[in-house]
Order: sequence, then C-alpha cells, then structure tokens
Amino acid sequence: MAQKTILIIDDDLDIIETVTILLKNEGFSILSADNVEKGLEMIKGDNPDLVLLDIMFPEKKTKGFEAANQIKEINPDLPVFAFTAINREYNFDFSKEEIKADEFINKPVATDKLVELINKYL
Amino acid sequence: MDKAFIPTETMEFSNLHMVIEWFIKLRWIACMGVLFTLIIFSTYLNIHLPYRILFSINFFLISANTAYNLYLVKIKRKVLTNKEKKVFLHIQIISDYTLLILLIYFTGYLENPMIYYLVFHIMLTSFLFPERTLIIYTFATVCMLITISLLQNRMIIPYYPLSISDDFNQYFDRIIFRTGGLASILIITAYLIASIKDRINFKGKMCEVELSHYKSLDKIKSNFILQVTHELRGPLAAVIGYHEILLKGLTGELPEKSITLLTKANKRTDNLLTMIGEMIDFAYMKSEKEVIYEEKKLSLFDLISENISLVRDSAKKKGISFTVNCAKNIELRTNRDLINMILGNLLTNSIKYSHKDGDVSITCSKKKKEVLLIISDQGIGIDENELGEIFEEFYRTRTARSLEKDGTGLGLAIVKRAVKSLNGKVNVYSRKGNGTSFHITLPDKS
Repeated sequence: MAQKTILIIDDDLDIIETVTILLKNEGFSILSADNVEKGLEMIKGDNPDLVLLDIMFPEKKTKGFEAANQIKEINPDLPVFAFTAINREYNFDFSKEEIKADEFINKPVATDKLVELINKYL
Repeated sequence: MDKAFIPTETMEFSNLHMVIEWFIKLRWIACMGVLFTLIIFSTYLNIHLPYRILFSINFFLISANTAYNLYLVKIKRKVLTNKEKKVFLHIQIISDYTLLILLIYFTGYLENPMIYYLVFHIMLTSFLFPERTLIIYTFATVCMLITISLLQNRMIIPYYPLSISDDFNQYFDRIIFRTGGLASILIITAYLIASIKDRINFKGKMCEVELSHYKSLDKIKSNFILQVTHELRGPLAAVIGYHEILLKGLTGELPEKSITLLTKANKRTDNLLTMIGEMIDFAYMKSEKEVIYEEKKLSLFDLISENISLVRDSAKKKGISFTVNCAKNIELRTNRDLINMILGNLLTNSIKYSHKDGDVSITCSKKKKEVLLIISDQGIGIDENELGEIFEEFYRTRTARSLEKDGTGLGLAIVKRAVKSLNGKVNVYSRKGNGTSFHITLPDKS
C-alpha cells in the first residue's frame, strides 16, 4: 500500500510538529503549511490525499471557513477535516452545512481516533 | 447610560441628598405661605390672633430653614455617614412637627383646618424612615395633640380661638379662611401624590439602569471567559500532543519513572481540558449571544452510547462499567448539544465520584410526551446538607474536593441550565456514602 500523504494547515507550529510526529508514526507522509495561501498552493502542487485544516485562524475567523470551501473548489474529492477549538455545534457562527468539510474535529483529538477517521476516508 | 456607572453607595447618597433638598424647598414654600397668610390676616381680615407670636414662629421657621439650607450647601462637598444624615433629618422633622403644632395652637387649634397639614408631615416622614420610626413620630404627635387639648380643657394653657364675635363680617372671613385652608390642603395633596409618583417612577428607572448595567457586566465577564478559554485550548492541544509523543516512546524509550510522571501530567492536562470545556459551555449559556438550539429527532440510545464512548477511557482506568437499560426505539425531538452537556457532565461525574470498579447505570423510559432518564452510581454520594447547593455555579462538595482536586464546580450548573433550556426537570437523590442518582425528565417535542 502506497504511503498516503496528509496536509496539515495550522498557524500553530507546535500543533504542526506534534501532529506530524504522531501521524508519521502511524505510517502517513506529512506536508504542512502555516497559512491558508501556502496550503492551497500545496494542494495544487503536491496532491495530498487528505487535509487537516484548522478553521479557527486568529487573523479572521471566517478565513478558515472560506479555506475549506476553496479547497473543495480546487479538488471536490479531497477529504477535508476541519479542526476547531470548540466542542459544540452552537459555538459556530456558521452552520456546518455552509462549510464544505467532511469531518469536524474538536481539538485536541486522540491520535487513535484521528487515525480511525482518516482511514475511513482513505 | 453614564448614570449606569455610578456606584450604588453614591447613588443612595445623592438620592437622600435630593430628598433633603426637596424638603428644604417645600419648607421655603411653607415659610412664604405662612408669612403671606399672616400679613393678609393681620391687615385685611377681621380675625384676632396673637400675631406677634405667630410672626415670631414664622421667623424661627425661616431661620431654621436657612440654617438647614446652609448646612446642605456645606455638606455637598463631603460625604456624610448614614448616621449623620439620619440625625440631620430627625432634627428637621422634629422642628417641623413642633413649629406646625405651635402655629396651629395659636390659631384656633383643632378649629383650624391647617391641622390636616400634620397628615402631610406624616406622609413626608414615611418617605424617609422605616415603619417603626414613623409609628413613633405619629404616636408622639397624637400624644402632643391630646396633651394640648387636655391642658386647654383644664385651663392650664390658654385657648386662642380663631374668632371672638359672631358678626357677619367675621363669619365671612372665617368662610374665606376655611375655604383657603381646604384649598391649600387639596393643592398640597395633589402635589405630594404627583411627587411620590415621580419618585417611584424615578426609582424604577434607576433600578432598570442598574439592572442593565449588571447585565452588561455579566455579558462582558462571559465573553471574557469565552475568549480566554478558546485561547487556552490551542496551547493545551500542543502540550497534549507532546505528552503523547513522549509517552509513545517516539523520541526513544523513557525510564519507568518518567512515564509515571508524564502520565500524571497528562491526567492533569486532561482535567484542565474538561474544565475549559465546561467554562466555554457555561460562558455560552450565560452570554447574551442568541443561542438557537436547533431541534432534531434523535435516538436517546445513540446519544447515550456516543457519550459513553467519550468517557470510556477514563472509566476503563478506574475499572468502572456501564449498564445501559434503554430501548433503542426511544426517540425524542431535542437539541443535541444540550443533551450532550447533560449526559457528558453526569457521566463524567459518575465516574469521578464512583469507587474503583464501580458500576454506573443508565436507564431510560418513555411515557406519553416525556422521557425519563436516570443516571445512578454507587459512589461517594452527597451529604444531605449540601444537596441543595450542588446545582449552584462553582459549587463543589467537600467530599468532591477532597477526592478530585481539579474541577470547576460548573458541571451540574450546566446540567441544570441545559435541562431548563429543554423545559425539563432534574432531581437528585443521594445519601452520603451510598451513591447518587440523577432523574431527568425531558419533554418530547415531536
């Protein structure tokens, strides 16, 4: 089985570091971007198999939401997991229907749960 | 809105200050009224009265009011203690009662319609003092009136009648006097009632302003908690990630002791995460942010299973098992977030406060338009004295605190609010050392 590539888009470099180490350990190949623009470039250039996207960017809350939709515009079949720091539906300023993410994951998440979810999509 | 930020103490003072000002103003009107009446009486009407004494009383009233007024101007710059304010008011009220009774005494006493002015004095006194003081003043006034009557009756003190002879002119003057007296009473009654109404309205408005002030403070507080707790999740996620990397030995095998310590660190971080979650939930519920609780038809069994799976790890660590007794076909139209808050918090508590290898049972049943959900544990239980307080915000029982260091004391407050938002009811049954059972009744809105 070919190694699957996962792209992490998060502005927190420590989160990138930890997720990278933990997922590499699970046998994935990891790409990372610390902003949405870089991330979009990588999606076009490096063809990741799945994207983990932090949708709570500090610059502007909507940016993360928009990013999910932009990713889907580039590649509608690419699975996108949206990471949020919030754990309830009502905490979103948008309804989940408006955001084109395949899964919403509350940060932090246990690695085995994350891997289980990733494997569902790959 | 600026008024909203005056601290209560100052507001109370300025309020009392205003009342005193108002009293002094009223007294000035009274002084002028008496002076004017005396001049008219002594020059135009054929009524014989001890005018010299009456003018002296009026002069005394004017002097007293000047003194009060000067004092008021002086104290405006410094804050009086409550006691000083009270003494000042008592002096004014006693002087008012005395001077009024004297004025009446020298002008026909009970024959004088102005005796009803005492009613106004009692009304004004009632503004300022509690019931007991008011009763004392009223009683003292009545005693004084009776004493004067008795003394007059025994001829110990003279009687000053309003009229001496019965000729027609005097009769006409008396009519004018009585009509004038009655008119003034009516006017003053109308004025006082209007003022009282104004004052009540004003107080009501002040209360509203204060209430909205506190509400906005509460909102600021909730938003602050929300902001802070959100910001805390990011760093925590990183810390938990690093812990996991180290514990999994991805950086090399760790000595046994390091693993033990890291596991401890990890447990505390997990607790912190739970606490942050609780604070976010709580802040959201308290902030005035319009929360629309979307309702969907949900299977209670699924909701219970989902929530159990979230706490399975911590249950496993303590050897706690769950017994679910719930028909799979029980559905209710409700909000997922709120149910998750209720189940999440109650399940977390049941694990936290169970003994090792304990059992937690979850039972649900449906009758008509209601669903009853019971979560019972056989844990440490709750002291009878503390049962009434467990739903209070930030309250943690003594045993809970000794057993589990970390906790916000918000869990059950959230449960209570969530149940309330769903128009349900929550009851708790517990005995110290004998486990706890939460009974939740939820309406099925389908």
